[in-house]
Amino acid sequence: MTALNRETVANRLNAVVGWEGKSRLLVQLAQDLPAFPDAQRIDANRVAGCESRVWLLLDWQDGKLQMAATSDSRVVQGLLALVFACYHGQTAVDVLALDFEGWLTELGLSRFLSASRGSGLRAIVARIRNAALAVSIRPLT
Amino acid sequence: MTILQGIHCPVERADFPLLARNPGLIYFDNAATAQKPACVLDAERAYYETANANVHRAAHRLAVAATEAFEGARATVARFLNATNPDEIVFTRGTTEAINLVAQSWGRAQLRAGDEILLTELDHHANIVPWQLLAQQTGAVIRAVRVLADGTLDLAHFHELLSPRTRLVGCTLASNAIGTMPPVAQIIAAAHAQGAKVLLDAAQAVAHQVVDVQKLGADFCVFSGHKVYGPTGIGALWCRCEILEAMPPWQGGGEMIDQVSFAGSTFAPAPTRFEAGTPPIAQAVGLAAALDWLMAQDRNAIALHENGLRDRLEAGLGAIPGVQVFGTAPDKVPLTAMTFTQAHPYDVAQFLDARDIAVRVGSHCAQPLLAALGVPALLRVSFAAYNTPEEVDRFLAALPEILELLA
Ligand SMILES: Cc1ncc(COP(=O)(O)O)c(C=O)c1O
Repeated sequence: MTALNRETVANRLNAVVGWEGKSRLLVQLAQDLPAFPDAQRIDANRVAGCESRVWLLLDWQDGKLQMAATSDSRVVQGLLALVFACYHGQTAVDVLALDFEGWLTELGLSRFLSASRGSGLRAIVARIRNAALAVSIRPLT
Repeated sequence: MTILQGIHCPVERADFPLLARNPGLIYFDNAATAQKPACVLDAERAYYETANANVHRAAHRLAVAATEAFEGARATVARFLNATNPDEIVFTRGTTEAINLVAQSWGRAQLRAGDEILLTELDHHANIVPWQLLAQQTGAVIRAVRVLADGTLDLAHFHELLSPRTRLVGCTLASNAIGTMPPVAQIIAAAHAQGAKVLLDAAQAVAHQVVDVQKLGADFCVFSGHKVYGPTGIGALWCRCEILEAMPPWQGGGEMIDQVSFAGSTFAPAPTRFEAGTPPIAQAVGLAAALDWLMAQDRNAIALHENGLRDRLEAGLGAIPGVQVFGTAPDKVPLTAMTFTQAHPYDVAQFLDARDIAVRVGSHCAQPLLAALGVPALLRVSFAAYNTPEEVDRFLAALPEILELLA
């Protein structure tokens, strides 16, 4: 089990070439994603717009994003590991500054954005960014 | 017969430019759309290079040539379906538009509140949603014949639901998701005995078997060009003459009229009445080329070959643990749907794609069917005449490796 952060994930992905190699690595990364609480596998936590089922939990602790996610697809679970590496533990300001799609493209994974999986991935990232927006914009009372 | 480096199929693979450009590709997504032989592409190009003009406005020689090409294509479609008369053929964008045409023209004129439309769980969304819209507009009621666990139609349920209130039975000739071919002869006879009309969705059938509308004896039959080696954007409705002549227009515009004044308009006779605006002329020409190409092939040999590929695949799948095949009806078009106990079908499809094997995965525009079968997504392998046993073997070799990777 390796730490899921952008640097280690990028190093591992850059070490493999080809679509199949990268897909294989995603399946391995899926195992590094922290376990998702079974009790939270409920419809309220589902992300709509994904081909496979995806559950996502977002919370803030000391101003840092706490993320838990899982999917019934191993490849999507691997993509969720990338999302986790990118956003988990970041502040709302950092979340909003991050360019996930740009990062995927750098990693040679842009094909995931054009395939029908892209819209599901975008829905997940949109949820995270909206959560960051919600905590960074304080309502005027 | 192509016998080239151990490649065996009843048509010339070299005639398909996309396959020729992608020698490593295994294209198993033919039920979604088939690859096109060069003669189809050539026919469209030749039309644009030699005859391009608008149709039915024949004031010059090109317009005459274009009209002849377009009406010639209609005659070819009629011959392909063994219709008695080209005037029974309406060009549409495809199956979907053809069914919407019948629903909005025939259906709106004929159906009243309480009338029933009988569909089946095997049907594609294209043969469900247009009827739901019609039901909302007219107060007609939709009933659906159940499928059994093996993917065959529950005929007892069909006979139970069929009644004098049934005005239309809509039924696919073959399920695009699991391949089942329901017993349409029996369905048509029973429906007619109750005074109901029958619409057959031939989208998945036309590439694999002879569809003879006179022999079938239904009232409407629809298909898409792109699934029968032809272009996208073109398809056809066949409709029995007496019915078509009595149907009101559904879209208004040029071409479909007789006289127009602001006091009112009169309409052209069928089939032109249903073809408002400039039609897809080049696509019709391309479709005719595809149908001529297919009619020139040995269709029995193609059917034997394609069904042989499916049987080879299903026999091979039986030996791979963790694979479940959906749809085991004795009468099936050449496709196989499956799921995996240890892997998500989307993941399997992705790893197949990495090996340049193209399959379809998802609910296949047949959500009621997948719900009835209790499965969220299926991986589908669907064959065409140019597929080969060697391709099936490559698939069967790749699958266990992929399943192990995903386990
Ligand atoms: C059985 C069936 N009916 C209807 C359709 C819709 O065809 P089109 O999208 O060409 O209109 C399809 C295509 O997938 C089909 O397989």
